[in-house]
Amino acid sequence: MTGPDRHDGTARRALDASMTLLNEVYRRPLDPGYALAAQRRAARGEPPRRVRAVAGLVVLAVVLGLATTAATLALRQPAGSALSARQLLERQIEQRTQEADDLQQQISDLTAEIAQLQSEALGGGSPLLAQNSADAVAAAVVPVTGPGLRVVLTDAPTDDPDTQDPDERVQDVDLQVLVNGLWAAGAEAIAVNGQRLGAMTAIRSAGTAVLVDLVPLSSPYTVDAIGGAPAMQTELARTAAGQHLATLRSTYGIGVQITSQRHLELPGTGQLTLRSAGPPRADDGTAAARAASGSDDVAVSGRRSGKDGV
Amino acid sequence: MIAVIGLVVGVVAGLLLQPTVPVELQPYLPIAVVAALDALFGGLRAMLDGIFDDRVFLTSFLSNVVVAALIVFLGDQLGVGSQLSTAVVVVLGIRIFSNAASIRRHLFRA
Repeated sequence: MTGPDRHDGTARRALDASMTLLNEVYRRPLDPGYALAAQRRAARGEPPRRVRAVAGLVVLAVVLGLATTAATLALRQPAGSALSARQLLERQIEQRTQEADDLQQQISDLTAEIAQLQSEALGGGSPLLAQNSADAVAAAVVPVTGPGLRVVLTDAPTDDPDTQDPDERVQDVDLQVLVNGLWAAGAEAIAVNGQRLGAMTAIRSAGTAVLVDLVPLSSPYTVDAIGGAPAMQTELARTAAGQHLATLRSTYGIGVQITSQRHLELPGTGQLTLRSAGPPRADDGTAAARAASGSDDVAVSGRRSGKDGV
Repeated sequence: MIAVIGLVVGVVAGLLLQPTVPVELQPYLPIAVVAALDALFGGLRAMLDGIFDDRVFLTSFLSNVVVAALIVFLGDQLGVGSQLSTAVVVVLGIRIFSNAASIRRHLFRA
């Protein structure tokens, strides 16, 4: 479509003057400067070039080539640097997680040692020892085993996790309602994905992740509760938590699976901070029992404060 | 011809030295590269047409890149940066296509 006769674009301009811009682009893709220069050369012959002009041209050419290459390289680079930064961060995350796991293991070992030393110091059969171990179970310090209920919550199935409606994911509030329902139904100990819930454990969210005891968890969420499975299941269905689970299943397509388990093993948190201490009194047994029930109250309020994201 | 040699030297130097582009210039790079491509194709076609000129080639190269970057800059200031970028890419794209077609005719006589 671009014959030599159309290089100057004058031939048909009058006919389609309203399309000047398109014609300019379409019919004269070549810079008119080339044609002009060629005309000048034809008219006056090859002008003798001065050294300075040639040097200027060379410098300009080198600079342009350099700049274009730099631009091209820069355009290709960001993906690579972003990738390496991501890998670096991933490595750091793995490393730190490993460190945290090691420290947790150390805490568990030390707690076991403390428990052993305590029992040695108190001597076998002491009522204080029995009270102590009961408190340890209530405070979620020691691992516990027993029959119980397992509730598995799974995010609604999706093709593209990035664009999924957050309502179709299991959220912190769902876990809070379920856990509170289980406590109300008579659970003695609860763990979410192996994170034991204690008096000071909060369930909350950070972005799309659900944090239990500040550990990010992801779907599926396995909530293990130790207690009488049949009674807990009935009790759970009767409470608001049961209705909440039904809503999650029917409205948002979140998978809810409740099974009774004959043998559950829940880990202990191993962390016990002494916050207040006093001399033993004469009515020691009843005071300790009250303290134990008191810790239960604290556990409830701890979960409630977790709901507010504290 | 001296311009082409200079350009090649510049490209090789760029590949060897790996210079970094200032961050402020980053948004203008894609358009500038497209403009540079347009100038390159124009120069190649002029060479095949037998009217290549060092000075015109380098001037069109430089002005293409500068004007393209300027248009994007103006567009960004006016809030129509992406639309103006599209316009520039369309115009330069048509030119590149036309010149490439002409080069093809020169090379393959078809």
